[in-house]
Amino acid sequence: MPGSIVQTKLYVPRRRGATVPRPRLSARLSRGIDARLTLVSAPAGFGKTTLVAVWLASAAPPDRLTAWLSLDQNDNDPTAFWTYVIAAVQTVAPTVGTGALALIDAAQTPIELVLGTLLNELSAIPDELALVLDDFHVIDDRQVHEGMAFFVDRLPPHVHLVIASRTDPPLPLARLRARGELIEIRAADLRFTADEAAAYFKDVMALDLAAGELAILTGRTEGWIAALQLAALSMQGRDNVGEFIKGFAGDDRYIVDYLVEEVLQRQPKHVREFLLHTSVLNRLTGALCDAVTKQDGGKAMLEAVDRANLFLVALDDRRQWYRYHHLFADVLRAHLANEQPEAVAELHNRASRWYEQNALRHEAIGHALAAGDFGHAADLVELEWPAFARARQEVTLRGWLDALPDEQLRCRPVLSNVYAGMLLSSGELEGVDQRLRDAERWLTTTAQSDAQRAGMVVVNEEEYRRLPASVAVHRAGYALARGNLVDSVKHARRALDVAAEDDHLNRGGATALMGLAAWASGDLETAYQSYGEGMADVQRDGHLSATVGRAVTLADIRVAQGRLRDAMRTYEQALQLASEQGSAVVRGTADMYVGISELQRERNELEAATGSLLRSRELSEQSGFAQNRYRWRVAMARIHEARGDFDGALDLLGSAQPLFMIDFSPNLRPIAAIRARVLVRQGRTDEAFDWAREHGLSVEDELSYLREYEHITLVRALLAGGSAVEAAGLLDRLLQAAEAAYRTGSMIEILVLQALAYQKRGDLRAALVALERALRLAEPEGYIRVFLDEGPPMAELLQAAAVRGIAPGYVQPLLAQFVTATAEPHARQNLIKIEPLSERELQVLRLLATDLDGPDIASQLMVSLNTMRTHTKSIYTKLGVNSRRAAVHLAEQLELLSRTATR
Amino acid sequence: MQTHEGGGVGVGENYEIRVKGHLNARWADWFDGLTLTQESDGTTVLSGSVMDQAALHGLLGKVRDLGLPLIAVHRRTE
Repeated sequence: MPGSIVQTKLYVPRRRGATVPRPRLSARLSRGIDARLTLVSAPAGFGKTTLVAVWLASAAPPDRLTAWLSLDQNDNDPTAFWTYVIAAVQTVAPTVGTGALALIDAAQTPIELVLGTLLNELSAIPDELALVLDDFHVIDDRQVHEGMAFFVDRLPPHVHLVIASRTDPPLPLARLRARGELIEIRAADLRFTADEAAAYFKDVMALDLAAGELAILTGRTEGWIAALQLAALSMQGRDNVGEFIKGFAGDDRYIVDYLVEEVLQRQPKHVREFLLHTSVLNRLTGALCDAVTKQDGGKAMLEAVDRANLFLVALDDRRQWYRYHHLFADVLRAHLANEQPEAVAELHNRASRWYEQNALRHEAIGHALAAGDFGHAADLVELEWPAFARARQEVTLRGWLDALPDEQLRCRPVLSNVYAGMLLSSGELEGVDQRLRDAERWLTTTAQSDAQRAGMVVVNEEEYRRLPASVAVHRAGYALARGNLVDSVKHARRALDVAAEDDHLNRGGATALMGLAAWASGDLETAYQSYGEGMADVQRDGHLSATVGRAVTLADIRVAQGRLRDAMRTYEQALQLASEQGSAVVRGTADMYVGISELQRERNELEAATGSLLRSRELSEQSGFAQNRYRWRVAMARIHEARGDFDGALDLLGSAQPLFMIDFSPNLRPIAAIRARVLVRQGRTDEAFDWAREHGLSVEDELSYLREYEHITLVRALLAGGSAVEAAGLLDRLLQAAEAAYRTGSMIEILVLQALAYQKRGDLRAALVALERALRLAEPEGYIRVFLDEGPPMAELLQAAAVRGIAPGYVQPLLAQFVTATAEPHARQNLIKIEPLSERELQVLRLLATDLDGPDIASQLMVSLNTMRTHTKSIYTKLGVNSRRAAVHLAEQLELLSRTATR
Repeated sequence: MQTHEGGGVGVGENYEIRVKGHLNARWADWFDGLTLTQESDGTTVLSGSVMDQAALHGLLGKVRDLGLPLIAVHRRTE
């Protein structure tokens, strides 16, 4: 099981026997209580681990909880890393992290959301907590580092982080230092002073040395503890200590080389062999040592080595698991590689087998790779990848696949296909085709004879049976990502043909991809059904966030169908589901608020639409999909546009552009076209025509749904540029296409434009026929902006419609909206129509944005508290909010605060 | 390891890494086959072709892990 926790990593390591007391360093660690972060940063062998462990055991305040995590190479994966951090915290605070762990297990939870939940849970514990991360230098994964920066930044005050590392971690150390939030213990602090060295030799190692000898030793080693330890080991039981010291001092050799040789030479041959052979292991236990050395008595040997102080660190209370001190292990490995180079691979092989037999696959794969036994490593990866994929350890999995030589992958259709899937989901389209071809090679019907299957390696028969379907799903996804709808559907069909009845993952995947392809081709009802059914199958045991993510896409399709009310219901139901989750914010929530805002904008509820966007932004840090930052800006731009602030809209569109990401959903409203529409409304028709030219658009184009928005934009430019006749033909064709596919959303807009085109040509009768159709389609769904955005010409047409009694219950309120909209100057800079605040209210608002409380604000303004409250109430009413926080938030959004300040 | 004549992007560069102390020749393998030269001033120079920056940092990490005081890193241009 990849998810199983190696408990020894959570155990505070203990060295046998006494240690030198280091009160000055302990005192500094204790001061770390007041700091956010304590950093113990020094090279190998400076006693970092011992210092922190001893401090925790003795000097740390007794009411403090302490959690320990010894990191290793396997933790270079955000999922693995944070799972272990939570496991460490749970050793002392079992309730913490349950929510965060559930999120880690869920599909595609962004790490910020996991960390946000973890931080919330941490802030709820009543006790002080010290969390120690030892050997942090092994972490070089960028995502883990980013997560750590986020985590450190938001750490609750009663939680303290202690990091021990050979290199400074990439955290904002200078800032923490400047704020007094960082306690540091570095190499200069950790070196043994002369007194400490004296105490060590005398009290710990029972060596009586003369002051001069001590001085030579500390001078030669510069207080480096590992070297002093090795020196002590070399001197134990020697008669000629003075001579040894003289020889040591007069030698230029790398200290550790010199001393380890001394130490190893003094070991009996079988101990020496044991040390060398077991040095390939990151962790040692009796049975594992027996397997690697092919001897008995590993347990007894470990105990003897431990007693002899040969750099063994106990990893648990029962002395079952140990590790060598890292520096000592490195030297042993170098000796091994030099003296018995041919033995190294075999030792790793034995270790791999033992781990495999004991169901510790992660370690088994690591040793197989180290042994250079790539075939075996690939076998293990092929057998284990479903478990690692389920545990969301993609980085680990990807690391293994990258470590395997190409020829090992190419003869393994299952792994080739896994690789293709990983590339596809990370958007690396380049390598996908080759990997799929590698898999397909073995799947062609003619290759099924044994002779032709020779050379193919399959160890996971179950996955191999699913392979034809899975390869076809990946083919469909690859084609869709490249915009090839026909091939995408073809492959998805094939996947359904070959997938077994109970293969929900591949059947669902194929169905959902067909849905997305149908969407891109404009067949919305098929898209809605297929995508909905398919994703429900894929996510059978999936997490809620998957359901929410699906809702966003389904609502988008509903909007295109002109079913605004259904879209709103889809959002509301998903939000309801999400809120039943309790405190945790479900991923995709922020995206839904953007969608809701777009619906509110269409209904001309611009305040509410802005409010939804603000809500989305509050949530987006924790719960947005990557594409949300783009969608948010486009939605805000369209609200600006609705208010007549065209420059503001263009600015926002400009900032949105670089945030666009390619995904499997069709990009139906290219940002350049959205921009061109704003240009048309600004009267910059020439620039709009430039856009059309650049994108190769003309009225003769063949139509496709993917270009529908662009073609309608071209119509708008033509109408504004006085070419109503040219526009008419294109409009007719656009209408036919939209009608044929029941795309009511598009039909309404096209009919509106048709009405305006007829009006321009003086054909009022035809204009009203088109308008009436638009009104009948739009009325049940409550469309407003699609009419309102067309300004005075549309108002005129609606008047004419009103006179003729067309849809009176709808046209009257629409006309009323025109009156409100035109009563306000179009070029209004304010984002929201609010009753203007008085100068006094603006002053109060500015003070509300400070930390002052009510009485303080009143005295600042020299008014009574009651008067101040009246002002506040009035501000809340005008802004449509009911809290100070909301008022300040909205005021910032509307730039009311800065405007007052500059006045 | 990839090495080509003439140097350039993506091709190994020659580096010298100087550390304090005389390092036994057995460490050559450990340092990906670099040549170890013991200098008379009590330092050791590890020299040879390094594939790219990532490989260089990997080597420096090994120097770090052995607690070898790092004195200089130098790129040789011929």
